[in-house]
Amino acid sequence: MRIAFNTFPDSVKSQLATLSAQQNHLQNQVATGKRISQLDDDPAAMRRVLDWQTQGSQVSQYRKNIASLQTEATSSYSAMSGLQTISARAGEIATLADGTRSAQELNTYASEVTQLIQQGVQLMNSTGQGGYLFGGTATAQPPFVAATDANGNITGVTYQGNEAALSAEIAAGAPVAVQVPGANTSGSGPAGLITDSRNGADFFNHLIALQNHLRAGDTNSISSSDLPALAKDEDNITSQMAHNGLIQAHLSTADSLAATQSLSLKKTISQDSDADLAQTLTQLSTTQTAYLAALQSGAKLLSQSQSLLSYLA
Amino acid sequence: MPGLFGTLNLGARSLQTQQQGVEVSGHNLANASNAAYSRQRLEIHTSTPTPTSIGPAGTGADAGAITQLRDTLLDRQIQGEISITSFLQSGQTALQYAEAGVGEQLQGATGTGDVGSPGGLANDLSGLFNAFQDLSTTPSSMTSRQTVISQAQQLTTQFNQLDQRLGSINNQLNQSVQTDVASANQLLSDIAGLNQRIAGTEAGAGVANDLRDSRQQKLEALSQLANIQFSTDASGEASLSLGGQLLVSGGTVQDTLETYDSGTGQLLVRTSGAGSPLTPTGGSIAGTIDVRDGALQSLHGDLNTLATQIISQVNHVYRTGYDLNGNTGADLFTGTNASDIGVDAALASDASALQASGVAGAAGNNQVVLGLAQMANTAQASLGNQTFAQSYHGTITGLGTALASVNTQLADQESVQTMLQAQRNSVSGVSIDEEMTNLVMYQRAFQASAHLVSVVDQMLSLVVTLGQ
Repeated sequence: MRIAFNTFPDSVKSQLATLSAQQNHLQNQVATGKRISQLDDDPAAMRRVLDWQTQGSQVSQYRKNIASLQTEATSSYSAMSGLQTISARAGEIATLADGTRSAQELNTYASEVTQLIQQGVQLMNSTGQGGYLFGGTATAQPPFVAATDANGNITGVTYQGNEAALSAEIAAGAPVAVQVPGANTSGSGPAGLITDSRNGADFFNHLIALQNHLRAGDTNSISSSDLPALAKDEDNITSQMAHNGLIQAHLSTADSLAATQSLSLKKTISQDSDADLAQTLTQLSTTQTAYLAALQSGAKLLSQSQSLLSYLA
Repeated sequence: MPGLFGTLNLGARSLQTQQQGVEVSGHNLANASNAAYSRQRLEIHTSTPTPTSIGPAGTGADAGAITQLRDTLLDRQIQGEISITSFLQSGQTALQYAEAGVGEQLQGATGTGDVGSPGGLANDLSGLFNAFQDLSTTPSSMTSRQTVISQAQQLTTQFNQLDQRLGSINNQLNQSVQTDVASANQLLSDIAGLNQRIAGTEAGAGVANDLRDSRQQKLEALSQLANIQFSTDASGEASLSLGGQLLVSGGTVQDTLETYDSGTGQLLVRTSGAGSPLTPTGGSIAGTIDVRDGALQSLHGDLNTLATQIISQVNHVYRTGYDLNGNTGADLFTGTNASDIGVDAALASDASALQASGVAGAAGNNQVVLGLAQMANTAQASLGNQTFAQSYHGTITGLGTALASVNTQLADQESVQTMLQAQRNSVSGVSIDEEMTNLVMYQRAFQASAHLVSVVDQMLSLVVTLGQ
């Protein structure tokens, strides 16, 4: 092919443009550590990476949910633990309050039971990060309110909460309920902690009955009705605590699974989107060498610009 | 026999011829770096011989014509390729504006928890649903409520901004079509003017080489704007048409181009006189229109569809919720599409107005906000059975695919065009070495003819003093 005056400069220009564009692209990859960063670098891979990143972000959020639920479960458990202690003591008193006790001793026991009820109400009005723990989903006001008479005896404990339990997701489509409502009298839904119509638990009322029987010195009623009733209440509390323990174990397992999933997603994303530095650096080095060579040879030929003219003069 | 005076005349004419040769070489050298120039040659032929007793005797040389070395087939091919390259280039530019406008990039180290760019729509979408999830664990928490509200605001602001950016890109593209049409009209009148001058010059003697070079340059500039068809008929009359519509015939501009509103605010092209719509298939005008009405319109449309769906699906669930004060029925998102999507103004000042609960009076109930959180993984029928996030990812990677495809096509096209231009350069380009050689050749011939004149002059002076 015949070479004209413009042929060489034009071809040098286009070669340098191509090499410098390649160099720029590779340099970008090395600097960001990413094989793909713009939408047009590899659209199919970009799509996959975006979808995985969304999944990864959701998994992180589920872990946060799990942490939040675990905190709630732990707080619930310590309150229930306290309640169990009260229940144990009430059972003890009911056993001790037999016909051999004097009226004065019975009265002392009665006052102790009053205090136990108050402690119980206080425990049941514990708060967590989302409001009251044992009011079901009516978390804005205290679940239990005790009414006292002129002598300081408790006449009744009213439940102001409801029977629902909040459930939150720990994985997609996997809701978990941690809450225990204070009372469930409807017979359906989550079991109540203090009162449950299905298994006959009615802790505060039974304690009030015990208190009243002690005041009245009615030890027969105490042994015939209060003692078995309180035993049922204690069973209920114990089973709720076991349930709580199971839930906490479940949450812990779910968290490990989520951690594994998160790690595996990160690896997958990295495989698809991160640059293989060794390979990229090698390519960059090769391109840089080619660019420098093109610059040198081009410059030499352009600056010499030999033609017949130099030899004719 | 021509005689001494005839030979003197021969010498004089030869001097002129060689001088013309030097001029042509000089002209070529001066235009060596002119990309639009094609090298010229002086055609020298023998002058008419005179009959003598011993047969016809030569009478020297005359300059016949100055011709240019040009391959018209290559020119037509290059014009065509320029149109295609320009079509792809303008498409690429428009798509690059859109990619920059969308602003999604994978940044930094893997595992920062962001989806795409930290400030992009994909991340805002993910952030909103995560905020719903967070609120579902503690529905009465004012902090979590505040987070939901500000994530929602971020999302709506991002939608508005994207919509604005795409709208302004659209305006830019319309303006560029207008500018291109104005340039095209200017070129049409330039070409008509050149046609006239070429015809006028060639009515005399020879070929108007430099004017033809200029005209070819203008034709190539016009081919960049639209894929025109240029032809000359047997009588040499040049005509130029676009999409079958005659625009230039000889020295007159028959019709020019104008833009018109197709009814949707988008500019299209038609002829000014006849008003017939033109749909060029090459050149930057067509490339811009193709991307504007194709990839960009569907991007903008998909964005609006996504916004509309989010508004309606979220509000559908949200409306049934109760806030901390027992109110219900309000909407979370206001507006109808990406341009006007917003967050209920009442929430900006009062986070307790967020309707998270499924029943009145239960501040710890999270049914509604849980339903909203679960929407992140719900396939939406009107989004092609994809989730909101999947739909958006699909939309923007569709843009990426279009741009990647244009990039590949353009790279291939540019190498084809470069090859053709190199071929043309090979045929028409000036070579300094050749011109220097020719220059020396004409110089020597001039010297020789000058010597002939001085020899004949000596002979003549001898003859003149013969009788003395």
